Parts: sequence; structure tokens; C-alpha cells
Amino acid sequence: MARGEDMKAAETISGQQLRDMLATATNWLEKSSTEIDALNVFPVPDGDTGTNMLLTMRSSIEEAYRAPDSSASAVAQAVAKGALMGARGNSGVILSQICHGLAFGLRKKESFSAIDLADALKQASVSAYKGISNPVEGTILTVMKDAAAAAEEKVNDGVTSLVEVMEAAVNAAAESVANTPNLLPVLRKSGVVDAGGQGLYTILDGVLRYLRGEAEQMQFRKPQLVASSLPQQGRVQTPTRVDETPYGYCTEFMLQGEKLDSDVMRSRLQKKGQSLIVVGDDTTVRVHIHTNNPGSIVSYAAKLGTMHQISIRNMDEQYQDFLEMQKERGVDVETGTVAVVAGDGLSDVFTSLGVAAIVPGGQTMNPSTKEILQAVKSVPAEKIFILPNNKNVVLTAQQVHSLTDKHVEVIPTETIPQGIAALLAFDYEADFETNAKLMTEAKDRVKTIEITRAVRSAQLNNLKIRKKQVIGLLNGELLAAGAEPREVLDKILGKLDLKDAEIVTVYYGTDTAADEAERVSTGIRDQYPNLQVEVVRGGQPHYNYIVSVE
Amino acid sequence: MVKIVTDSLSDITSDIAQGLGITVVPLTVLFGHEAYLDRVTITTDEFYRRLINGSVWPTTTQPTPKAFADVYDKLAEQTDEILVITLSSKMSGTYQSATGGKSLATKKCRVEVIDSQTVAMGLGLVVLATAKKAQNGAKLNELTDFVHHALERSHLIIYFDTLKYLAKGGRIGKASNLLGSLLSVKPLATVKDGEITPITRVRSFAAGMDHIYNSVAAFPSVEALAVEHTTNPTEADKMTDRLGAIVPKESIRRSTVSPVIGVYAGPGALAVTVLEGEKK
Repeated sequence: MARGEDMKAAETISGQQLRDMLATATNWLEKSSTEIDALNVFPVPDGDTGTNMLLTMRSSIEEAYRAPDSSASAVAQAVAKGALMGARGNSGVILSQICHGLAFGLRKKESFSAIDLADALKQASVSAYKGISNPVEGTILTVMKDAAAAAEEKVNDGVTSLVEVMEAAVNAAAESVANTPNLLPVLRKSGVVDAGGQGLYTILDGVLRYLRGEAEQMQFRKPQLVASSLPQQGRVQTPTRVDETPYGYCTEFMLQGEKLDSDVMRSRLQKKGQSLIVVGDDTTVRVHIHTNNPGSIVSYAAKLGTMHQISIRNMDEQYQDFLEMQKERGVDVETGTVAVVAGDGLSDVFTSLGVAAIVPGGQTMNPSTKEILQAVKSVPAEKIFILPNNKNVVLTAQQVHSLTDKHVEVIPTETIPQGIAALLAFDYEADFETNAKLMTEAKDRVKTIEITRAVRSAQLNNLKIRKKQVIGLLNGELLAAGAEPREVLDKILGKLDLKDAEIVTVYYGTDTAADEAERVSTGIRDQYPNLQVEVVRGGQPHYNYIVSVE
Repeated sequence: MVKIVTDSLSDITSDIAQGLGITVVPLTVLFGHEAYLDRVTITTDEFYRRLINGSVWPTTTQPTPKAFADVYDKLAEQTDEILVITLSSKMSGTYQSATGGKSLATKKCRVEVIDSQTVAMGLGLVVLATAKKAQNGAKLNELTDFVHHALERSHLIIYFDTLKYLAKGGRIGKASNLLGSLLSVKPLATVKDGEITPITRVRSFAAGMDHIYNSVAAFPSVEALAVEHTTNPTEADKMTDRLGAIVPKESIRRSTVSPVIGVYAGPGALAVTVLEGEKK
């Protein structure tokens, strides 16, 4: 695309491009704002983070069109002003602080380079922390900080490409978002990543895509939500309330006057509630606080200047609305499934088929009962199916029964294909017991081929096997050995009666290249033209191929 | 005699409708600015050909209240009682149009409108059974009771080869649970409380057909069956043959899914409706 090429040549961004870039990022955010809403559990699970951030960005873009000239500095100033005027909610106000920092970093710049960008991101990070009386890690703040640090590091390494610097920032932001549950217990408990952090990641990702010249393709795509690194969660969960104290009122307004002092206001309001944010300059200040006594806040502020955009919302009501929203989104609160899976690709497959929580593990790393129990507890459902997906995990999983009040049923799946077959057989109309039966029956209808390498030399089933030789198992039974994975797979397929089979799904592991897997599946297609062959990246360790025959 | 009116989403073909004195009000299919009356000015085959190959995404619109009013006025010349059974009001505004048409009608006639909360032959089989009752002289009150009970006995099972069309048309209902899988899976769904609702997922067409057959076979008694498809008559024939083991093959209603539903069901879909026997 012409725009992308132009940019590579110039490697600076003008004010006009800055505005287009942020507008693109805003549209990008819009596409997942409702999903981000659903992640929202901190500081209050009221389910509006994505919307608030979006409205804040929109306001900043509108203002950007009113910039006095088209220098980067003027546009950035306008963006910051627009964000401050339009900031909504906690994350919106922090976002406006980020814009404020960016504008500070870009001051007096006609256009900006990769080095300027890194510096502006750093200023944004500093500014984000500034407005808040008690910064909490594992939130949008941490994500901003990590992204800025990564950009700075790139520039220090001598990189001058805007795309490369932004790539580093976006990758760091993704990791940071995934890590938020490790830093903030309420996220871990609810099994989600931080919504504000996710929103910021999406904006940064939108910026990167613009820089890459992908603005047009973005219309047809959707941002990806970052998955939590621990424990991996399939579905958006209903958040658990930390305690039973009321949330009170979310009180927000903009104050306009002269010689306003944010610092003084912040210290005065400090004890009046939680999640206090006071940001702005000496003529415009935005205040956000969660308080049980909004009246006292308002009467204090009214003495300092004129109040605008006053909003006082009952957060306990919002929380109820949020729960309703979750219900409408079809979050199944009755039955959930926990699966033991190794490999990111396979985890994605299970997640896409509706598994609520994934416990990492498999052949060489059997999860503990405790890990499975934790996953069971993390799923907001009273009835839980567990898919162990490995012979050595079935027993461990069965221990969970006695450790929880939840109604737990282990479907003794011994392989990944069995787990997927069981999962698919789930009948939305049927009751728990019937589903247990359906899932157990389904697992026995699928055949599993596993191709791996021998860990030691042995003589088994009339086969002499050398250490590290490629071996193939059919339904857990050693059946063939050979030099190449492809050859061993062929041997096993040859021994199967494929007359009644319809679908062969090939999940290839980390040790196997995608084109190699494609070649293998083409080979199967050529040899058995009646079969439907599907290739999926499983990303599993140790196994070159896990193949299901149905 | 009470006159029975339904919409084209009941998948009742014109010859059968004529035979039983049923009036079918067509919905409209739009390809851009080109408007066609469902099964009147566009054939099913032509429709699916354009759905799969055409660049314009078709949309549908409900009949106008006026279209219903005209039907009521025309039928009022022969009867003073009309029973209208429409597809689910959660899928289309047809029910509203049928109700609105009452006040626009100029001739005096009692008109009852029922929202079937279902679609396709799930609606069609009930309409056919009701029309037979009407021919045998049942009165309007009797018929409305009959329809409400018969709808409870009507079970539609749809195999979708893809949910792409349903999602694109915004009619996915609760079946959105079935979307977004990384494996190619084929969803089976039903209509519950007026909305498409997931049943389960299978990996292949054959497994889907097995599931449908087993579901039908599990009913203690079956009064009537219908098999319909969007683009695969051969498979619909095979299914009909297979279901011949449950009811006489000749009694099974065969139809194609109305283009209006086809917009959402997409190519390769196959549906079976069971009208369960009346509980004693």
C-alpha cells in the first residue's frame, strides 16, 4: 500500500498522520469494546471499561480535528484536551492522562520519529501514574509502563524504524496484559485479564497496524483479546465479588476555573473514597472517585469552579446490570468443562469449542489434583465435566470429586482426540447425567494415533525400538516404529480399516513444521480420497503428530 | 369454513396449499434493489444459485400489513372466520404485519393471528394439520386450541453445513454458542422459544444425519414427518428413504427450505420436522 511505503521512506509521522493513526486505533478499539466491557472486574465489575475507553478516544479524535495547525505537537495537544474533556470512567481518565503524556512528549514537534515516539510513550507512562493517588499494578498502568520500556529499549539498541519500535511496544503490551492476573488477585479469581490493559493493548495494536499500512484490511478484521497466562481461561467468566461491601457511587465531573491545583484537590479528596483520579491543568480538571457520599465531593468542588458533565452512578446497580449482561451473552452458568491440555494450538481448539478452563499438562507434565481443583473452582458453574485427555491424569482428576461441593464428573478421556470428541458430543438440551453418557460414548468412537519418539530402547509388541526412534501408537498401544514420522503414520493408517472413517484430523506439534504437516495430510488425501483431512496446529510438545480418525 | 393463512416460510408448496385451501402470503427477497416474492417471482433454485455465486448479499423483508389486509378482504368473500399462523415473531416482523393487517381490512370478518414461535416445516406441518381440521368443519376456537397444542408437538431439527449465513444475517439467536470453532464442526440446532437454539455439534455430514435419524427414532410416536433441504436434494432423498423405517415413506412431506430461510440456513442445510403423536 502506498501509505505504508511512503512512511517507510520518511520514517516520521506528521500531525495529520498522527490523527489518522489514532482514529484507526479508535475504530480498532470499537470492534472489541463490548468484549472488553465483559472483562471488567477491577476496580468495580460494572462492565463498561471498553465503552468508556472508546468514548474517551472518540472525544480526543473529534478534538484532534480542531487542532490549530497540522503539526504533530498541535494535534497531540488537541488529542489530550479532547481526551480530558471526554474522559469517562477510571480507565478513560487514565487514558486521558496517557494522551496528556504523549502530547508532552511530542511538544514542539512538527513531525516525529521512532525515537520521539519511544520518548512520548515513556512520558505517557509517567503521566499515567501521576494522576492516581494509589496506583495498582496489573492494570492499564502496568501495560503502559511495559510497552514504553520495550520501545525505549529498541531505540537504545539503535533501531530507527517506527514499525519495529511500535512492534516491540505492542508485543510487550500483550505479554503485560497476559500477566495482569498474576499481579492482581481479583483478576486471577475471576479468570480474566485486566480490561483497561486489554483496551490499551488494542489501541497500541491499532497504531501498529496503521504504521504497517494495514488500515484498509483492518475493516474486515477484529482485534484479538489477549488470553490470561494463568490459568488459561476459555470463556469470559462471571466475576466474583471480592467482598460484600457496597461499591457506592461512581462520581465523575469536569471542573473548570482558574488556578486549579490538582495536587491539592487530590489530597483533599483522598480519604473520601476509592479509585480516586484527579487530572488536568490549571483551567480544567477531571475528577473520578468511587464514594459513598457523592454530595460532599460535589459541594467541595463547586466552590473551586464551575462543574460540567457531572455523572453520579450507583455502582451496585451497575454491577447487577453487568451480571444481567453476562447472562444475556450466553455465559452458561450451569455446566462448565475443564480440560487438561498441552500446547497452545490445542488449547485454542478446546477453548473455541467452549471449554471454560484449561489446565496445562499432559504426558510428561501431569498436573496435580490441586491444579485441576483450582480450575474447577475458577469456573462459575455448579456442574463440571473434567476431560483429563491422558491415561496418567484420569486418576488425578477423579480425586477432585471429594474436594469440592461442585458436582464433578470425570469423562475418562485418555487422548486429545477423545477429549475433543467428548466435548463435541455435549448436548445443549440434555441434562448433566445424559451428557456424561453421551460424552463417554463419543470418546470411544474416535481412534487416536500418536507419533512421538521413544524415550529409551525397548522390545515391545514384537518391535525392536531404539532410543529416540520414531514410534507410533494407536489408542495408546505401540504399533509401529520407523525413521520418519510420516512413514510411521502411514504404517498405522495402513493397519486401520478406514472404510467407515470420514474425518482425519492431524494436530501437529511444536517439533513439526507447518509445511511438513501439510505434506503429510496431502499424502493421506491422495491415498484415501474419500476421507476429509483437516490439519490443525496443535503446538503440543513431544508428539510430532496427534491424529484423530472418526 | 375457516380459512387458513400462513406465510411462505412455512415451506408449503403452492400445489399442496391449493389442495387444502391454504393461502400463503409471500415474504420478499431482495438482492440489492431487485425485489422478488418468495417462491412466486423467484424459484428456489435460482435463489440458491445467486446466494452462492452472486456478489450481492440478499436480505429479506416481511409482507406489508396491506398484503395481509388484501388477503383478508379476498377471503372474507367466502368465509367469516380466518386463522393466520405466522413464523416466529422473533425472526421476522411478519406476525406484526398479519396483526396490523386486521385493522386495514375493509370487509367484516373475524381474524385470529397466532405467532407459531417456529419456522419452516416446524410451522408447515402444523399448518397442514390445521387445514385438514378446518376442512372437516372445525370451528375457529377449536382450531386455535389445536394449533397451540400442535406447536408443542412440532420439533424441527436443522443441520447447518455452515453457520456463516446465519451469523451474517444477524439471526443466529442462541446458536452463537456454536460459532468460532477452530475445527470444522457442523452444528445441529432447533427452534426453541422462537429462536434458533443449539443442540450439538458433529464433525461430519454423516454424523449429523445419524444424529437426526436417532432423534426422530427416539420419539414414542410420530404423527407426521417432513424433510427439507436448501441445495442437496439427493441427501434429502436418502434421509427420506431412511425415515421410511419410522413412518410410511410416501407420507413424508418433502420440501425445499424457503429462500427467505435459505438466506440464513445457507447451502447444504437439511432439516427434519417431527410432528409428535398426540399424547393420550
